[in-house]
Amino acid sequence: MTSGEAAETRVEREELRQQIERLLGAGRAREPIAPEAAACELVVEPESTDEIAELVRKCETDRLTLAPLGFARTLSQIRTSRVALGVSLARMRRIIAYEPDDMTVVTEAGVTLGELNRLCFEHRQRLPVDPREPDRTTVGAMVGASHAGPTRLSEGTVRDLLIGVAFVGHGGRLARAGGRVVKNVAGYDLMKVMTGSFGTLGIVVEAAFKVRPIPENYTLAVRRFGRDSEAFEAAVAIHDALAMVHLEVLSPGPSAALGYDYDWVVMAGFAGNRAELDYQRAKTIEALGSGTDILEGASAEASFASLRDMDFPADGLVAQIAVKPAELARCARECSGEYRVHAGSGVAQVWFEEIGEGTAEQTVTRWREMARRAGGNLRVLRAPETTRAEIEFFDRPSAGAFGLMKRLKQTFDPANIFNPGCFVGGL
Amino acid sequence: MLDELAAIVGDDGVVSRATELKVYECDGWTVEKSAPEVLVMPRNTKQVSAVLKALHRRAIAFVARGAGTGLSGGALPIDAPVMVCTSRMNRILAIDLANRRIEVQSGVVNLHVTNAVRSRGFFYAPDPSSQVACTIGGNIAENSGGPHTLKYGVTTNHVLGLELVLPDGEVVELGGAAEERCGYDLVGAVVGAEGTTGIVTRATLRLLREPESRRTILAAFPDVDFATRAVSAIIASGVIPGAIEMMDRLIIRAVEEAFHVGLPADAGAVLIVEFDGYAAGLDERASAAVEIARRYGAADSRLARNEAERALLWKARKRAFGAVGRLAPNYATQDGVVPRTHLPQILREISAVSERYGLAIGNVFHAGDGNIHPIILYDERHPEQVQSAIEAGRDILRACLAMGGSLTGEHGIGAEKMGEMPLLFSPDDLLAMAELRRVFDPGERANPNKIIPRPGACVEVAAPHRQVPV
Ligand SMILES: Cc1cc2nc3c(=O)[nH]c(=O)nc-3n(C[C@H](O)[C@H](O)[C@H](O)COP(=O)(O)OP(=O)(O)OC[C@H]3O[C@@H](n4cnc5c(N)ncnc54)[C@H](O)[C@@H]3O)c2cc1C
Repeated sequence: MTSGEAAETRVEREELRQQIERLLGAGRAREPIAPEAAACELVVEPESTDEIAELVRKCETDRLTLAPLGFARTLSQIRTSRVALGVSLARMRRIIAYEPDDMTVVTEAGVTLGELNRLCFEHRQRLPVDPREPDRTTVGAMVGASHAGPTRLSEGTVRDLLIGVAFVGHGGRLARAGGRVVKNVAGYDLMKVMTGSFGTLGIVVEAAFKVRPIPENYTLAVRRFGRDSEAFEAAVAIHDALAMVHLEVLSPGPSAALGYDYDWVVMAGFAGNRAELDYQRAKTIEALGSGTDILEGASAEASFASLRDMDFPADGLVAQIAVKPAELARCARECSGEYRVHAGSGVAQVWFEEIGEGTAEQTVTRWREMARRAGGNLRVLRAPETTRAEIEFFDRPSAGAFGLMKRLKQTFDPANIFNPGCFVGGL
Repeated sequence: MLDELAAIVGDDGVVSRATELKVYECDGWTVEKSAPEVLVMPRNTKQVSAVLKALHRRAIAFVARGAGTGLSGGALPIDAPVMVCTSRMNRILAIDLANRRIEVQSGVVNLHVTNAVRSRGFFYAPDPSSQVACTIGGNIAENSGGPHTLKYGVTTNHVLGLELVLPDGEVVELGGAAEERCGYDLVGAVVGAEGTTGIVTRATLRLLREPESRRTILAAFPDVDFATRAVSAIIASGVIPGAIEMMDRLIIRAVEEAFHVGLPADAGAVLIVEFDGYAAGLDERASAAVEIARRYGAADSRLARNEAERALLWKARKRAFGAVGRLAPNYATQDGVVPRTHLPQILREISAVSERYGLAIGNVFHAGDGNIHPIILYDERHPEQVQSAIEAGRDILRACLAMGGSLTGEHGIGAEKMGEMPLLFSPDDLLAMAELRRVFDPGERANPNKIIPRPGACVEVAAPHRQVPV
């Protein structure tokens, strides 16, 4: 608790803590730690779906807001005011079923992606979603924020892999959809609805995924370029010729941070059996040119991990643009900051290391308009704290679509308690 | 009202004579029949919107229809007097190869999408066996799959943007051309909603590069047990093939009689296994699969030697349903799913069901996904056979659920499997789903009485409002 905090808030928080402990037992509510503190007043750690249901009912009755928490990394960035309760899933981390032969896995939402993938690794399988720092990404957060990384090019994103979901919604109601089989169209696809809903429709407690074989002989081609245009042309050439595992273009800032010179760098991953590798290696070198480094085995894996885990500036302005793939190079350049481009998918993270207070909103507007002209949209991932209030983090869809979204939110969260106010259009 | 509809779509766009409407009394699920009172055939979004507005004013329910190849009674009107057919909305609107996108009206036939881009080295991945006829709108409604969805995913993985006309006539744009969406994934909610969220008029689809090469293997096994074990082993070997399809003895015989593809007549089951990708490395993959098949009891495996042989194999597979038509006057296709490792058990269960009801059942299915398609043969001239066919289908679905599976992998719940939904989902699950539907359709006028059974409603097949052919 900071000393500057109003005494009133402190009293309220203590009162709330006592209420929660009466409901769930001693030791189940605690002070938030960084970065949770930016997102909520108090953290609760339920142990079961029933307890979450009780919390939800209490919040509805007492008009308290709540939001699910993994490591609170995303929420702490996008909330401008705190919710009353951060519902941590830290005590719900059972892997419910892993069936390597069926290639499916079912877990509670508090399991981290890292944990899950270490288990799958024993069977040469993985859940091929690769947001930053898998050991600090819970399944719940991954679904809720629809986190993705470089392998989206070959494996798709959460929405392509999530085959079942359970969540606690209004009235403390537990609802399930999908199931545990890899192909299933029985009932409405609530998996899609929950993916990327940022905890605004309920709390995801369980998720089922299909898993995939780990690609054989992952190999990484790295090539530095003195000019951005050369890097992008090379990336396009590879994308046209080959089906890559992933394909990134980095601007000089991040490429230097990864230990390459202050140049543009293309990082292209591929995999396969011997004959496929030989073929792809030759084609890749043909597209990238003779200065291409080819990394294999542990060094390829390590370089991939640093590409995946690359951090964005803590105090900068960071956004993700998603546009028509052929427009991506132009857009990334026009942003005139640093970038990590997922070539072929049309998605990139763009950022300024620093941004003046007065210019953050202007910059977001400029980027956003550019993304829209390129058939896409922009979402702000991080902004300096002082500028957050003035920034719209989520791009707005068309008026008609937004009307439906409002209705969806009202229907699934009639009391407006689930992480309200920070999602698209203030939902 | 007929005049008003005719003013919107033209006189030739409205059908109201009972004799002409008979064609529309069912889809591929022929067990239940009920013709609409009026059929409307709009040409564009504006007309669809005007039609739905006219219906909205009168609180009249409607059902969309594409090609009517659905297998679960999705396009069967139940208390929906008006049918809106997309057959005249069949234009490809824009091809954008630089971005690997194509934009089509919803009445475009699935195969026409691939045909429009194949010469330039692209294809649209979802390939239902009905692809020569079924429409993109129908595929979106059912979230259809096909043999190659094992590797490439089903319809929902390939739809980026939609134009949807809501039941009150409002036109909304969902998603777009980019990979990430703004706000909730409403495209994902509409795909697979079986036409209960409104009428899809336009779609932006993802195109993929044609693989450089393919190897297609036909492996013959003594029985389905051996074949299904081989399926798991092939997939466990670490590479997901483009497709793994299975046909059992009954289907082999029917297909052979119809197409003379040279399937081994004495085999108890065959697998079609296809690998695609770079030419380099494919032979190695194919021979590894052949070796696995041999280890799991395949007496004979051969490789299609050229594109013509490959095409013939796929023709045989994709037309297997039709070929079965030669064996019995009627058939009903089921679409259960089991975890792939349970395929041997479910096939044993199916043969037990076949014996129990005295009906022949053939199996031709997407083995790689664990998505079974038992084809139950019957003769509708014998009412007791109709009833047996329905009950046999239900027994099989129940067995799927008992093995941790699902009621439907790609054909949808429709009218057919509504009664089984409570076996798979709790009342709360169904309530949440109903809430989602009402976000789009508060009056429940878009394809009413589908997917979710009304609480307390009769789940018997011969519900009063429906006519079961007897
Ligand atoms: C021989 C045969 C083989 C088949 N093989 C496969 C297969 O391999 N994989 C597979 O998944 N399916 C398969 N099917 C089933 C069927 O072809 C698919 O479900 C297909 O997607 C239906 O398309 P359709 O245009 O015929 O739709 P219809 O049967 O006309 O309608 C299906 C549903 O879609 C709704 N609908 C149609 N158009 C629209 C629209 N524009 N907007 C909103 N809702 C709409 C209807 O209301 C209905 O609920 C097969 C069917 C047959 C007969």
